[in-house]
Amino acid sequence: MTNGTQPMTDQTAPAVEVRNLSKHYGDFVALKNVNVTIAAGEYFVLLGPSGGGKTTLLRTIGGFHKPTKGEILLHGKSVGHLPPDKRPTTMVFQAYALFPHMTVTQNVGYGLKVAGLPKDQIVEKVDYALEQVGLSQFTHRKPHELSGGQQQRVQLARAIVLDRDILLLDEPLAALDAQLRKDMCLELKHLQEKVGITFIHVTHNQEEAMTVADRIALIANGDLVEFGKARDIYRAPEKSFTASFVGENNMLKGRVAEANGSSVTVDVAGSKLTVDKRGLNVTDGQEVNLSIRSECVALDRVNGTNAPADGLSILGTYDESVYLGLTTSHMARLPDGTEMVSRVISDTDDTLPEANAPVRLSWKPGDIRLHVE
Amino acid sequence: MNDYDNIWLHRLKWTYLLLVVLTLMTPVMYVMYVSFNQNGFGANEYVFTWEWYGLIFSDELLIGALRWTLMLAVVVTVITVPMALLAAKYYKAADNKLFPVFLLLAPLFVPPDILGSALLVFFKNLNFALIWLGDQIGTSLFDSWFRLSFLTATIGLIIYTIPYSFVVILITMGRYRKEQTEAARACGANGWRAFWDIEFPQIRAGVFSACAFTVILVFNEYTRTSLLKGGFDTFTTVLISQMLNTGMSPQSYAMSAMVSFVAIAVIGSIILFTMIRAESLSRTARAKAEPVMS
Repeated sequence: MTNGTQPMTDQTAPAVEVRNLSKHYGDFVALKNVNVTIAAGEYFVLLGPSGGGKTTLLRTIGGFHKPTKGEILLHGKSVGHLPPDKRPTTMVFQAYALFPHMTVTQNVGYGLKVAGLPKDQIVEKVDYALEQVGLSQFTHRKPHELSGGQQQRVQLARAIVLDRDILLLDEPLAALDAQLRKDMCLELKHLQEKVGITFIHVTHNQEEAMTVADRIALIANGDLVEFGKARDIYRAPEKSFTASFVGENNMLKGRVAEANGSSVTVDVAGSKLTVDKRGLNVTDGQEVNLSIRSECVALDRVNGTNAPADGLSILGTYDESVYLGLTTSHMARLPDGTEMVSRVISDTDDTLPEANAPVRLSWKPGDIRLHVE
Repeated sequence: MNDYDNIWLHRLKWTYLLLVVLTLMTPVMYVMYVSFNQNGFGANEYVFTWEWYGLIFSDELLIGALRWTLMLAVVVTVITVPMALLAAKYYKAADNKLFPVFLLLAPLFVPPDILGSALLVFFKNLNFALIWLGDQIGTSLFDSWFRLSFLTATIGLIIYTIPYSFVVILITMGRYRKEQTEAARACGANGWRAFWDIEFPQIRAGVFSACAFTVILVFNEYTRTSLLKGGFDTFTTVLISQMLNTGMSPQSYAMSAMVSFVAIAVIGSIILFTMIRAESLSRTARAKAEPVMS
């Protein structure tokens, strides 16, 4: 659906295709040869640490930066030469982007006014958009008379009222407090399902990403590290960076002791661990990384009968526990100094081992993953 | 004042402020006072009269000078303020800010006599060069382009006023967030539309202040104007010439007082309007922020 102000686009093509995109600022490389395809109607999240290049990618898609190399296609049409106002995109910014001299109604209706729509149509569309974001009673307020969450809702209404195909969200919830961010996450997800357009959302907050995303792309140091469904990214990360950034993973460094068949034996801190090879090319003696999510690690006291020899556990010494409300994290240290965390949904602390007591950390076969890069 | 402030220190601060204002305003008030004296400046006896104000408009010299001054002020403002605005916009967007700010503010640090004399020499040489060029190609078309005239005075005053306008606009622009321009572009506005609809309303106060400042600077300027003006007089050159030669006429006092009245009334009204509007806005905001009691 368009309001007639945007160029016609090929609705069968992906909403966004980024091909071999690079962006340099002098010697600094913000994006390195990025390739990604985003389907129409998808909620796609660009997740990564600050300074990784995710905002640069979003702003390049939106036309606020020109690519140094590569191509961006929106609905099959190359748009590298088009400024932001000529693209079928609109954008929600982190903060400070509402027009302070305009009321909520004027802010939301601004794009329609620019497009030259008749006043009665503008009023109708603005009312509908404000209803969608639950701000119908604040029409005459100025931005400074609204809370942070309400301001972001006005930005959303201002964006969706334009009926553009692609909505870019640049850390839209970063300036909000934790509770409001959670609420707004769900609202964003529901809104996207309602309007059915493509949302591309930049965030460094993994919980936010998990809540809203159909698919997540991880971006760090200008590279698109990995992308996939939120559940896959969390449960089965391909790259060790993904494992270290998403969720709370224990990262273990080791050396391949034996690589035969479908599994590999890896020497980690003096213990031999067995891990699925996942079809990766590994050779004896190769240095590799292993990841295990902290909630998959069980921690037990060591007694005479449970010394590890099964390839699915490792010995360490108990360090301390941190009570986090819903969960409790138990920290243990391996003989090589690596810290491992076992996270459990339990807040009873009467059976905790004493500090420096020997403990056994164990997991199920499918919970440990091999990373070779 | 908070509960821990010393009341006498508080009063001392206010007394100091009043003293500063009095020091600033006393000469202006004295000119106003003299302008209503039948016997003029320095007389032993003070007799109130409106007579000198009535005579202003029959004084050809003063009215002519005022007309030239107003024309200069309007032309210089119309050129200077947009140039300063563009410069401020480019400055805000520039990565390396030191070099452009140095270039733009450099004229502020050149003494007026030196800048005026330099421009005088420059225009004379430029004029010679253009006359020579005209002679070579057999035309007298360029002969008067850079003779001392309204044009040369305008150029001199633009060079003088741009740094001030630039600084005034830049101060207002400091509060403006570029995300708003980007948001307007994302809403479909082109660059000009985004500027006119979104940025300009927010920096308007600075632009208008720069206009007012430029007009005042042009009214006030003597050295550069007198060196570059050619065959006409401005209000300030007339007043200073009178002071140096015959002494200011009673009409000149009346004219000076009138200009001061108008300036104070205009600036005062703007300040008053701004304060009343700000108070009204904050009252509305407070009312909206208060919880509804049922």
